[in-house]
Amino acid sequence: MPALEQLLHSTALGDEQAFATLYDEAAPRVYGLCLRVLRDPAQAEEVAQEVLVEIWRNATRFDARRGSAGAWITTIAHRRAVDRVRSVQASGERERRTAYGEEAGYDAVAETAAVRLEHRQVRRCLQTLTELQRQAVTLAYYGGHTYRQVASLLGTAVPTVKSRIRDGLLKLRDCLEVAR
Amino acid sequence: MTADVHALIGPWAVDAVDDDERAMVERHLAECDSCAQEAAELREAVWRLSDATIADPPPRLRARVLHAASRTRQSAPVPEPEPERRPEPKRLRRHRGLPRLRLALAAGALAAVMAVVGGLVTWSVMRSQEPGATDADRIAAVLQAGDAEVGTVTAEGGGDVTVVRSEAMDQAVVVVSGLAAIGQDRSYQVWMVEPDGQVSAGVMDPGERSATMLVSGLGDAELVGVTEEPAGGSEVPTSPLVAGVSLQG
Ligand SMILES: [Zn+2]
Repeated sequence: MPALEQLLHSTALGDEQAFATLYDEAAPRVYGLCLRVLRDPAQAEEVAQEVLVEIWRNATRFDARRGSAGAWITTIAHRRAVDRVRSVQASGERERRTAYGEEAGYDAVAETAAVRLEHRQVRRCLQTLTELQRQAVTLAYYGGHTYRQVASLLGTAVPTVKSRIRDGLLKLRDCLEVAR
Repeated sequence: MTADVHALIGPWAVDAVDDDERAMVERHLAECDSCAQEAAELREAVWRLSDATIADPPPRLRARVLHAASRTRQSAPVPEPEPERRPEPKRLRRHRGLPRLRLALAAGALAAVMAVVGGLVTWSVMRSQEPGATDADRIAAVLQAGDAEVGTVTAEGGGDVTVVRSEAMDQAVVVVSGLAAIGQDRSYQVWMVEPDGQVSAGVMDPGERSATMLVSGLGDAELVGVTEEPAGGSEVPTSPLVAGVSLQG
């Protein structure tokens, strides 16, 4: 999506109008991902705001040679959301959240994806993963868990989880690339 | 230790590592090209997982973000890593008697450029994949501008460099064609020479001898010049001009 790259470049030059357009393009992705990871609309809104302002502030540091604008933006959003999850966990709310959230797991994601025709591709590619690969990847990415937490949630050895995440992502990469 | 780092690249790509591990992975990526390559590819796959979670934020968020942005100072860009051995900043010497731009009143001159550019436009178009105004369209607009001026010079070692400028559009088309053959380890680079130094206007592909480029924002550039540089171009010219066209009327 070259449009995003261009909007980021204009934003880097202080173009507020370009940033407003960038907001319209990117905010649903940023907010949606925060919401999925944090599972709390108020916190998701707060973190999404931080992320989007950070995108404004650091647009000057986006380097298209190192990756796409979509990856750059989404990486910032995911890291911020995960940082928030971890600090919430550190402050002792972990048990409650885990109890509330875990059931949602992969199924909720699949369901959400199913109603969005344009997201069939990612969903289809997730289906090419083995059950364990898919669970490991989705618990880590959508659930914001560390690989150690994923191992204990799945009752699997830590080294196995590390390699399942990597193998799953490689499959995802191949599937998305072929489909492009 | 290294084996541990490699096993962490997958978890790192989905932020499933702790802060220490993240720092360790990123240190390794800065040093290991093959891991950096794999990490970049994983990142490009991972972000697509967010296709499945897109959701509309509350409408009030837009005004809040735009307001906060308007009051937030932007970061300074991260400086490019210094090259190992930095060449002495050199100024391109201004040559006397360089060909100057002339108003392209004679349709013949412009038609001749069109003939050259027309053949090379494919080169630009192939590299620009965005819809809408293509480089080809923008190049054509400069060539057809009412105030288009043309200057051509034969380059040292053969070939020519033609510059068509529209002052009103503040753009120029630079057509480089058939310069002396160079190896794959060298690139021709186009410069805009300004009163207080020069800026790169573009670097041609290694070994490439012909190209068409659109240059925007001419500012007070006095000269368009071409030099031969190491493949990928240089920050400052490291060799004398092989061709130059003066922009001063
Ligand atoms: Zn490595």
